[in-house]
Amino acid sequence: MLKDKTHYMEILVRGIWKENPVAYQVLGICSALAVTVQMSTALVMAVALTVVTAFSSMIISTLRKKIPSNIRIIVELAIISSLVIVTDEVLKAFFYDTSKQLSIFVGLIITNCIVLGRAEAFALANDPIDSFVDGIANGIGYGMILVVVAFVRELLGSGKFFGLPVIPQFLFDLGYQNMGLMVLAPGAFFIIGLLVWLKNSLPGVSHEKK
Amino acid sequence: MSETSQTKPDKNSRINVIKFALLVSFVCSLLITAAAGGLKGFQQENIELDKRLNLLKAANLVDPDEKPSKQEIKRLYDTHIQAAIVDSQGKIIETDTSDSMHLYFYKTEDVIQGYILPINSRGLWGKIQGYLAFENDGQTVSGFSVFSHSETPGLGGEIESAWFQKNFKGKKILNSQNKFVSVGIAKGKVANLPEKDQENYVDGISGATLTGKYLSEGIKSTLTQYESVSITFRQKNLTAKEKD
Repeated sequence: MLKDKTHYMEILVRGIWKENPVAYQVLGICSALAVTVQMSTALVMAVALTVVTAFSSMIISTLRKKIPSNIRIIVELAIISSLVIVTDEVLKAFFYDTSKQLSIFVGLIITNCIVLGRAEAFALANDPIDSFVDGIANGIGYGMILVVVAFVRELLGSGKFFGLPVIPQFLFDLGYQNMGLMVLAPGAFFIIGLLVWLKNSLPGVSHEKK
Repeated sequence: MSETSQTKPDKNSRINVIKFALLVSFVCSLLITAAAGGLKGFQQENIELDKRLNLLKAANLVDPDEKPSKQEIKRLYDTHIQAAIVDSQGKIIETDTSDSMHLYFYKTEDVIQGYILPINSRGLWGKIQGYLAFENDGQTVSGFSVFSHSETPGLGGEIESAWFQKNFKGKKILNSQNKFVSVGIAKGKVANLPEKDQENYVDGISGATLTGKYLSEGIKSTLTQYESVSITFRQKNLTAKEKD
């Protein structure tokens, strides 16, 4: 069942960069707005989503020949949400602090279009291991954008990096102010927009010319 | 599932769709029930422990940034915290009545150092539950902590963070005329408020104005409800001072 390394590398590169879920597929934007005020929350969300996407894609891919096509979306959703709820219960029992940090992210994962998107677009047509790798790749691709957005928002919005103040006091004394807009959702819209533009204008990745 | 695919090769036949749907819902519900039921004991223990930790944090027996071990929390709780019930006049009673209220005392070597009130407030998305502790004088806040909320992480969720909770320490619920005004969450920084209000407000969270508004209201209503307890403490404190 295992294929050679370059095959998996290709899936990884496609998910992380070429067809990045946020910058290219424009999926998962809602949660990207909500959790990118701070780097730490963005990172937790990225890890949680990667795990869920990988395992749900794998399970759905295993069942892909059995799932009746007219109820497939409901079945996919049932699998994804059960998986998320079970994970949440386990976290609450054994890693209470992490589960408190995740709080509403759990709900956000179920509704994140990336999970369902990958199940529909990839897992239904590929074997379980490929799907698992694809889930990991998309999770990382999503997380990467999240962390970049969170970095900019936290730095400009609250002058911090991972919760540590990094803007020296004398700059504030000179009249520097934190940008209130960055803390609110519109700040994330601007940054995500700029990132999408940046990614698609880099040489060699423009999709319009093809 | 394997026998259905043999007898009925078409996975999209109506009977197969129903079978598959039933099977998936059955397996999924079984999984969730098993996880929820089987892990309940562990979860409840965690929740109880977390509440105790937050009581200790509110009473300044644990620093907001610290993460003490399970045994340490149990030991601190047993030596310092005492749960109590009071009636509407603020007198300690033994059993629950219709208008009784719950609170905690924190003490060092059996001397009561202050009291802790449970806060149960409305938030933007759900309930905010926490503790607000007071010193023996019945008006100075000694600490605040939150053990359960559903605010947006990074915005309203900041009520959980150490800087916000440390904010409360030393604030007063009486104004300069000794009238009850509660302690509120400012819109922005306390430093921008008029001097006379600064004692009664803590720094707000940018981007979470509504969370702050609701929490201020919740704290005020709890404090109004428990005002009789605070008055008892204030009077005790006054008589103690006169004796000196």
